Amino acid sequence: MRAAGRRAPALLVLVSVLLIAADHWITLTPLRAFGSGVYGSLENVTSSVTRWASDARRLETVERENARLRAEVLTGRRPTAAVAGAAAAYQVVSAHAIGFGGDQTVTLDVGTGSGVARDMTVLNGDGLVGRVVQAGPSTATVLLATAPSSSVGARLETSREVGLVTGVPDRGLLRLSLLNADAAVRVGDRVVTLGSENMRPFVPDVPVGSVVAVEGTSGALTRTALVRPFAHFSTLDLVTVVVGPGRPGDGAPQ
Amino acid sequence: MRDPARKPAGNPAGRALLAVALVLLAPVAQVSVVNGLGLPGGGPDLVLIGVVTLGMVLRPMAATVVGFAAGLAADIAPPADHSIGRHALVLCLIGYLCALVPADSSAGQRTAAALGGTLGGALLDAALAGVLGDESWTSVLGGLPGSLAWTVAGGTLVAVALVSLLPRRRRFGGPASRAAARGHYTGGHHA
Repeated sequence: MRAAGRRAPALLVLVSVLLIAADHWITLTPLRAFGSGVYGSLENVTSSVTRWASDARRLETVERENARLRAEVLTGRRPTAAVAGAAAAYQVVSAHAIGFGGDQTVTLDVGTGSGVARDMTVLNGDGLVGRVVQAGPSTATVLLATAPSSSVGARLETSREVGLVTGVPDRGLLRLSLLNADAAVRVGDRVVTLGSENMRPFVPDVPVGSVVAVEGTSGALTRTALVRPFAHFSTLDLVTVVVGPGRPGDGAPQ
Repeated sequence: MRDPARKPAGNPAGRALLAVALVLLAPVAQVSVVNGLGLPGGGPDLVLIGVVTLGMVLRPMAATVVGFAAGLAADIAPPADHSIGRHALVLCLIGYLCALVPADSSAGQRTAAALGGTLGGALLDAALAGVLGDESWTSVLGGLPGSLAWTVAGGTLVAVALVSLLPRRRRFGGPASRAAARGHYTGGHHA
């Protein structure tokens, strides 16, 4: 009994180490797809139940928002013109955030079945959320823009200065590093995405955030600033995934 | 199987049910409920606390398997993006170590074991996250105080629950079964 009780841990430790090694050299896609299928479905059910429980309140909020947006359209005022414009020009899929990871990732309830794949832009009504890093059959994992390992090509909306936005651990802020060390940057400047080649992983001109503090001095190698993101990452719910370029009226890609 | 006096907590079906619930539901509750609450410091690690709890009432082999399964579940349940096998490695070790604590140990010993198990698990996982490159060391160290605080709180809860639940059951056995358990324990050591 004691010997068996010692062999089992040794064996399972070995299996774990082999799994870690395998995951580092080859991507264990079938295992992740299995996790997406089993646990993604359970997360979907949990999320649906909590959403259903708060449906009456949500409906009222949506009705109010709808009324406000209709009024804004009628009066010609478009406060989120950039977001609306960005979403209208692409094929998009809307999704709910159904799970939150400890390491700045969220689960969406759409997957490869809806045309979602790796390296797609995710945004919501406020601004940039992040990019898809894994897509399972029915769920997708999004790395938030605030994650330390995330980096997004960006530019200042008015001066068009180019830089890179990275996550700042634990503060919910972003750090903008401008390539031009002498670039003028002021508190309140809006930061938008630069856009990537072939629109993957980031489509251009999605609002990211606004500058809250300028860090570097003009003599430093790069000029950096702290940016507060427009999207509220702790209360993410409905988001939009850009699945491809395309005209309105096209069928779903792939 | 030959030393039923050693880990007698609950009936086998109940323990199996708890183990299945832990493997299937704890990762989901973690990502859908706990992490969504936006608690300062991130919130408690349900899977780790569950493995420590079950480890205290299971035999070493069963506790290791349950720890491995629950860890693997936490590794592949979306939106996990870290190395597959990291939690499995940590939790099969923690499950095994917690199961080594004799069921007839004192309340203080069990409290210490539950605290040690949760604390050790959280520290080992953080260290592995840094070593494997899943997270940068700055973010590992930045997140450590919050996760340790929640883990200590969770470990204390587990210990209190075990201490208040288990002694009641032990009155059936009394000192005789305690002696039998000791005998089996040392006897098995030499085998």
